[in-house]
Amino acid sequence: MNLLYAGTMTLGIGAILSIALPANRLRVGANLVAQFLACVLVLSAVLPVLFGGEVLVSTLAWSYPVERIDFEINSVSAFFLAFSLPMTFLGSIYAVGYMKNDIASKRHVGVHFALLAMVQVSYLIIYSVQNSFAFLVGWEIAALSAWLLVIWDHRNQKIRFAGFNYLISTHLSLLFLVSAFTVVHGVTNSFQFADFVPFFQKPSIQRSIAFVLFLTSFGLKSAFFPFHTWLPRAHSAAPAHVSALMSGVIHKAGLFGVVKIILMMGEPELWMGWTLLAVSSISAFMGILYTLVQRDIKRLLGYSSTENVGIVGIGFGLGCLGLTLHQPTMAALGFGGGLLHILNHALFKCLLFYGAGSIYRFTHTIDLEKMGGLLKVMKWTGPLFLLGSLASAALPPFNAFISEFLIYAGLLQSTPELKIGQMALPLFAALLAFVGGLSAMSITRAFGLMFLGVPRDPDYAGDHSKENVWMIVPMVLHLIGIVIVGLVPMLALRLVQAPAGMMLGDKNITTEKWMGLMPASMLQSVTFVVLTFVVVLAVLLVARFMLLPKSNRRHVTWGCGYTMPNARMQYSGSSFSFPMVAVFRDILKFWTKEDLPKGVFPKDGSYSTNCVDSVEHSTFQFLNRGERIIQKGLLRIPESMGFSFGIGFVGLIVLVTLVLCK
Amino acid sequence: MNIVLIIFQLAIVVLGPIYMIGIINRVKSLWAGRRGPRLNQSWFDLLRLLRKTPVYSVVTSWIFPLAPIVILASTITASLFVPLVPGFAPYSFTGDFVAFLYLLGLGKVFLMLGALDTGSAFEGMGASREATYAALAEPVIMLTLGTLILASGHMSFSDLVIPQTDMVTSISIRIALAAVMFIVLLIETSRVPADDPTTHLELTMVHEVMILDHSGPELAIVQYAAGIKMVLLAGLISALLNPFSFQQLPVVAMLVSLTLIALVAVLVGLTESLTARLRFRAIPLFTFAAFLISMICLVLVHSSQGTVQ
Repeated sequence: MNLLYAGTMTLGIGAILSIALPANRLRVGANLVAQFLACVLVLSAVLPVLFGGEVLVSTLAWSYPVERIDFEINSVSAFFLAFSLPMTFLGSIYAVGYMKNDIASKRHVGVHFALLAMVQVSYLIIYSVQNSFAFLVGWEIAALSAWLLVIWDHRNQKIRFAGFNYLISTHLSLLFLVSAFTVVHGVTNSFQFADFVPFFQKPSIQRSIAFVLFLTSFGLKSAFFPFHTWLPRAHSAAPAHVSALMSGVIHKAGLFGVVKIILMMGEPELWMGWTLLAVSSISAFMGILYTLVQRDIKRLLGYSSTENVGIVGIGFGLGCLGLTLHQPTMAALGFGGGLLHILNHALFKCLLFYGAGSIYRFTHTIDLEKMGGLLKVMKWTGPLFLLGSLASAALPPFNAFISEFLIYAGLLQSTPELKIGQMALPLFAALLAFVGGLSAMSITRAFGLMFLGVPRDPDYAGDHSKENVWMIVPMVLHLIGIVIVGLVPMLALRLVQAPAGMMLGDKNITTEKWMGLMPASMLQSVTFVVLTFVVVLAVLLVARFMLLPKSNRRHVTWGCGYTMPNARMQYSGSSFSFPMVAVFRDILKFWTKEDLPKGVFPKDGSYSTNCVDSVEHSTFQFLNRGERIIQKGLLRIPESMGFSFGIGFVGLIVLVTLVLCK
Repeated sequence: MNIVLIIFQLAIVVLGPIYMIGIINRVKSLWAGRRGPRLNQSWFDLLRLLRKTPVYSVVTSWIFPLAPIVILASTITASLFVPLVPGFAPYSFTGDFVAFLYLLGLGKVFLMLGALDTGSAFEGMGASREATYAALAEPVIMLTLGTLILASGHMSFSDLVIPQTDMVTSISIRIALAAVMFIVLLIETSRVPADDPTTHLELTMVHEVMILDHSGPELAIVQYAAGIKMVLLAGLISALLNPFSFQQLPVVAMLVSLTLIALVAVLVGLTESLTARLRFRAIPLFTFAAFLISMICLVLVHSSQGTVQ
C-alpha cells in the first residue's frame, strides 16, 4: 500500500513541477518522468494483487464528518488500475508529439500535463477508496481535470460549448451519484462502503431506488444511450489524446461503479440483470447506428464508445442473471467477457483516436468526406489504423473477438431456469450479431473514405512532414496489446480471472476452477482457430506471390466507359451508409437543406443533409419549449389574493407536520 | 473413419465450388432451352485466370492484392467448423459458429476494402450494398443458430444438427430453418433475388461490381472463395435436413449430404430461372421475413420443450 501512496505523491510532485518549472521542455520532461515512476510504483503494487496476491488495505484518519478513509486494493481495483495508469502515461507521451507546436511556443503547456497527472491521481482514489465522501472527491477530480483537458483550445467557441456540455452532463451524473449515496446513507447511516454491504444484500425498495440512481449516474459517466449526447461533442472538440483517454480510460470509472454495485449486492434481483441487458443492448445498437452517419472521424469514434460500453453492459447484465439464477458458467462468461471487453476497448479505442489525431495533424481536417488515399502517404498510421479498426469490429484474430466470443457463449448457454426468458437471450445474441455487422460496415466506411481511393478535396493543407515518432510509439504499443490478447486468449483470461472470480463470490478462485467454468476447452480451440487462420493466411500469401503471376501493369480504374473521372466522383460516406440508413430512417433524425437549381438558366444549387442526434435534438427542443410551458402553467394560477394565501397555508401545514413528525 | 470424413469434407470444399456453379448454370440453361456449359467449366475458367498477368488500377494500394488472399484464408479456416455430414466437422468446439460468422465477416470486410481501394463510384456502391445486406443477414443466422442450440442443447455446429426424427415439430422446425438458411444463402452468395450475377449493368450489381477491377489471379481467388462460401452454406442446409448421422450409417450419410448439396444447387438454379431480382429496397424485408420465420421456430422450440418437461 505504501507503494501506492508513494505513487500518488510522485504524481502530485510531477503535477507541481510541470507547473512550476520555467520552460515547456522541462515541464513536460519532469511530468513524464513522474508519471513513469508512478506507473512503475503502482504496477509493482497492483499486479501481484491481480494475479491472486493478498488484498491491500489501509486506513487514513480524517477530520469530522468523514472520520476515517479506508483504502482497499482488491483484484477488481487492481484490474482497473493496471491498465488505466500505463495507458494514461502512453497518452501523455502521445501528447508530446501531438502538441509539438504548443510546446515549442510560449504557451504554458505544463498545465495540460499537470492535469493528466491529476487524472492519474483520480484513478488511484476512485479505484481504491472505500468511503463515499472520498469517492465523490475522486469523481470530481476526474470530471474537472477531464473538462479542463477538453477545453485546451478554449479560444474556439465551439470547443467551449462542448466543454460546458460535458461539464453539465458530468455534474448531472454527480447529482445522481450524490442522491444515490444519500439514499444509502439514509438507511445505513454511514459513509463507509463496508457498512453498505448488509443493506445491499437484502432486497428492499430503497435498494431498488439506489440501484436505479447508481445506474443512471454511471450510465451518464460511461455514456450509455440515451445519456450519451455530451460524448460525441466532447470527443470531437478535445485534443486527440484527451479524447482517447476519456473514451478508453477515464470513463471506464462508470463501469467500475457498476461492477462495485454488483459486488456489494452479491446476488442481484432478476429485473436488475434484465434492465442492464436491455439498456446496454439499446446502447450498443444506437451507438453503432450513429457511427454510420458521422462525417467527423472523432465523433464517429465517440459514438463507437457508446456501442462498446453497451457490449460491456450486455456482459455484465448476463453475469447478473447468472448470479441470480446460480449459473456459475453464465456468470463467469458474462463478467469475464465484460471485463475483458473493457480492457480491449481501451486498447483499440486509444489506438484509433491516436490515429485520428495523427491524421488531423497531417491533413488538418477531421472531415471524412474530404479525405482519401492517405494509405499511400501515411506509412505508419495507415496500417495501424486498419488493424485497430478491424479489432474494433471484433474480427479475428484481434482482441475484441475474444471478449465478444465469451459474451456470445454466455448468451447462448441453454438455461431452463430462465423459463420464458430463455427465448430472449438468443434475440440478444442476434442483436449483438447485428451490431457486429453494422460495426464492420462502419469501419469499412471510415477506413475506406480516409485511406483508400484518392484525396477527395485536393486542397487540404497536408503538412507532408514525417509522422511524429512520439505519436507512433504509443500506437504501436497499443497494437501489440491488441495482438497479444487476440492471439493468446489464455493470457487475457488469466488477467480477468481474479476480478471475475471476485464477482462470482470466490475471491481466491484457482485457475483450474476458473477454466472449469468455461465450456470445455473453448479457449484452446479459439487459440487454435486464430493461429490456423494466421498460418493459412501466411501460406496463401507466400503461394500467391511466389507461384502466381505478378505484375506492375497499371491502368486507370474502370469507369464504365466514362473517360473523365475525377476525385469527387468517388463514392461518398453518406451514400455508402445510405442503404442501411434508409432502413432506420424513422429512428435517425435528418436535417436537410436544399436549394435546388430552378428555371431555364439555373444558378448553382446545393443540397445538404445532416444527421443530428435525436436525443440531443429533442432535449434542446424540450428546453426551448420549457419556458413557454412554465409560462402557460403560471397563467392558469388564479390571481386572487385568497388563492395565494390558501396555497401558502397548505404549504405551512405540511412543513410543520414534517418538522413535528421528525 | 474420421480420416475418411476429413478427406470427404476436403474434397467437397475444394471441388464443390466448381460443380455447384456448374450445376446452377446447367439448370438455368436447361430451363432456358439451351444445353449450357460443361459441369466443370468454371475449373477451366479459374485455370485460365490464374495463368494471366493481373492489371492493377493506378489508384490502388497494397490492400488491393492482399484482400483476395485474406478472403480465401478466412473462408478456408471457416470451412473447418462446418458439418457437411451431420455430427461431424473437422474441428468442432463450443461456440465454433461465432468463429465461423466472424471469419466470414473478416472476408467480407476485405472484399469491401478491396473494392473501395479502386476509388471507383461503382465499386463503392457495391461495397455499400454488400455491407448492408451482410449486416442484415447476420442476426438471421445468429437467431437460427440460437434456435438450434435451444432445440439441441449443444453449442457447436456439429452437434447442433444431430437429427431428431422423433417428433413432427422437430422435423417441421428443421425444414423451416433450412428455408431460412436458404434465404441467407441467396443473400450471402449474391444470387437472384438478392443480386443477379449475370446482369449487364454495373448499377444493378452487388458482388460482381465490387470485383470490376480485379483481374487474373486476384479475380480467380475472389470467385473461388465466393464459391467455397456457397458450398459451406449449402452444406449447413444439407446437414440440417440429412436424417442420417455419421455415427450410424457413415456412407449413407455422406451420400445423402452430397445429394442434398447438389439439390440446393438445383434449387438455386431454379430460383434464378423463375424469379426476378427484388428491388434493393425490398431486400431488408426479405431478410426480415427470414428473421420472423426463425423467431416463430424459436417460440415453437421453446413451447415444445415446455410440454416435454
